[in-house]
Amino acid sequence: MKIVVCCKGVPGTVADVKIAPGGKAVQYQGQFLTMNECDEYALEEAIALKRAHGGEVTVLTMGSITTQDILYLALAKGADKAIRIDAQIQDSQAAGTVLAAALRKLEYDLVLTGTQSRDTLSGLAGIATAERLEMPFAFAVTQVEVDGDKTIKIRKELGGGRFADVRLPLPALLCVQTGIQPLTYVPPARMLRARQQALRSFSLSDLGLAEQQIVPQGYHFLNIFPPERTGQAQFLEGSAGEVAAALLGKIKEVL
Amino acid sequence: MQSSILVITEHWNGQVDGITYQMLAKGRQLADSLGIGLAALVLGYRLDGVIAALQEKGMDVLLVVDHAQLAQAGAEVQASVIAEAVRQMQPRLVLIGYSLVGMELAPAIAAKLGAPVMTNCVNAEIIDGAAVVTRPLFDGTLHAKIALEDKGPPLVAVQRGATPSVQLPPRTASVQPVSVDMGSIPVRSEVLEVIEEPVSDVDIAKADIIVSVGRGIGDKEKIPMIEELAQALGGLMACSRPLVDLGWLPRERQVGASGKSVSPKLYVACGISGASQHLSGMSDSRMIVAINKDPNAPIFQVAHYGVVADLFEIVPALTEEAKKAKGEVAS
Ligand SMILES: Cc1cc2nc3c(=O)[nH]c(=O)nc-3n(C[C@H](O)[C@H](O)[C@H](O)COP(=O)(O)OP(=O)(O)OC[C@H]3O[C@@H](n4cnc5c(N)ncnc54)[C@H](O)[C@@H]3O)c2cc1C
Ligand SMILES: Nc1ncnc2c1ncn2[C@@H]1O[C@H](COP(=O)(O)O)[C@@H](O)[C@H]1O
Repeated sequence: MKIVVCCKGVPGTVADVKIAPGGKAVQYQGQFLTMNECDEYALEEAIALKRAHGGEVTVLTMGSITTQDILYLALAKGADKAIRIDAQIQDSQAAGTVLAAALRKLEYDLVLTGTQSRDTLSGLAGIATAERLEMPFAFAVTQVEVDGDKTIKIRKELGGGRFADVRLPLPALLCVQTGIQPLTYVPPARMLRARQQALRSFSLSDLGLAEQQIVPQGYHFLNIFPPERTGQAQFLEGSAGEVAAALLGKIKEVL
Repeated sequence: MQSSILVITEHWNGQVDGITYQMLAKGRQLADSLGIGLAALVLGYRLDGVIAALQEKGMDVLLVVDHAQLAQAGAEVQASVIAEAVRQMQPRLVLIGYSLVGMELAPAIAAKLGAPVMTNCVNAEIIDGAAVVTRPLFDGTLHAKIALEDKGPPLVAVQRGATPSVQLPPRTASVQPVSVDMGSIPVRSEVLEVIEEPVSDVDIAKADIIVSVGRGIGDKEKIPMIEELAQALGGLMACSRPLVDLGWLPRERQVGASGKSVSPKLYVACGISGASQHLSGMSDSRMIVAINKDPNAPIFQVAHYGVVADLFEIVPALTEEAKKAKGEVAS
């Protein structure tokens, strides 16, 4: 089974966040680029499927040159090939357009993405990609079972303690939920070896995409600010003992 | 009905999901500020009960797609049907609850319509005649206000609990069937079964007092410290999702969109950032106390009492106070 996993590099912390001129994007200084959490789980699932059924895992990312680090991590974890799309696009619907264009150049039976990325918190790009490619999809997937040559069976969350088991024809796209597999630890030696491997890269023009096709449509940013507190929160300060005593006083009032 | 606000409803087993009433309240507010009507769309099979439950709930028009093929339809089919209804109706804006069901539907509907979509919103309002949404970015440590341009109709998915489900003045909606050619909708995936999680021994949903632990605990070995506080307060320990994903605590302890919804008298959140999927499971708690190192953590938006500090200092001190208090009661 040929599996492509879409993994995104996301900043651990951000500073100097402001709206770019034109209002279509957000500018920021990002630190500690890491692999988006659910994407790492998606990668682990892909590697587990390959181990069980054979095949090949390709990891695909879109981002600046610094996102190469997450590709090396993916190779060290057991991915076979790694591709970077050299573009920086924040809008998740547009990201779907670009990922779909890259997938058209690849061979696959299954595409795995995460549910949502920690910077956009959108949860859109996976399904947007599937829709572009007219592929069946499932969101918040917690189990994957290969149940035939041309189909898979998955379990997905519906919320409220409900799950659904769904059979999908291949090729299909699954937005994978955290916790699907245990995360594996990568020893530094394996990371060093992975850094020797070649990475492929696509430009937007390689993918036949023009700039105006991926400009976010239909909205613009007005303002970015720390979350407004509803005004109800009262903050307690002092030594740990003082805070604890004050808190217990408040707690007793409701119990 | 040209130019109205359209709410996509959610129901299960004949029961309307509470998030739908929140969207209706929000929808009415938006419709009133634009001076337009409020419509809702319900789809499924044998909908009489659901229609009866919805009809008096404050919308002007209730659009219905009732079809055997929708009895156990997957998200793809539902999204196609909704997109078709939106195409026919051309509402000004579509509101959908950001439940797990909405998370799967919203991107697909938007893709089918080629419309912009804003997910995970905490608010939607009309400013100078334009729809403006507020949504989190960067793990919720920042919020953005975003203006929707008149392309679309745009889809707005609002978090559960972000908008109160006020009772709208009752009125009887006119029920209108929408005709959708079900034969033209591709059915690729097959829903085999819907499974309800079995009832567990520990039911955090029944607890009056919950002490909940998040990834801020950092280490599985430290969890007993939280359990000790829960016991000292006479409550149960719960947790955020990552602790379950890591195998540190069983799923029955998880609070949130994909875990349990709780509304205890007291909810103490220790080292929990307050992602929307967590808040949607606990924001109705009577008193929320949050202990977090990060003053911008979104949990403080719903907290009644906040402590910006290291949980490893505050939790043991609070446990001690609680034990002391119990001792006083005993003596
Ligand atoms: C479809 C879907 C469904 C989901 N369902 C759920 C769900 O049901 N429940 C749920 O909880 N999540 C759910 N999530 C995940 C959710 O988006 C968040 O990732 C998760 O809630 C984060 O958990 P957390 O707050 O414990 O961890 P983090 O977000 O990592 O936050 C840890 C917090 O601890 C603080 N901290 C660190 N050290 C200390 C210290 N020493 N003292 C005090 N504070 C400290 C940090 O400042 C930070 O705010 C879901 C996600 C998706 C996409
Ligand atoms: N730049 C990117 N590179 C690779 N995958 C991405 C990228 N952006 C989004 N994705 C995938 O789409 C999922 C959802 O992203 P989002 O819609 O931004 O929340 C992520 O979990 C990734 O799997």
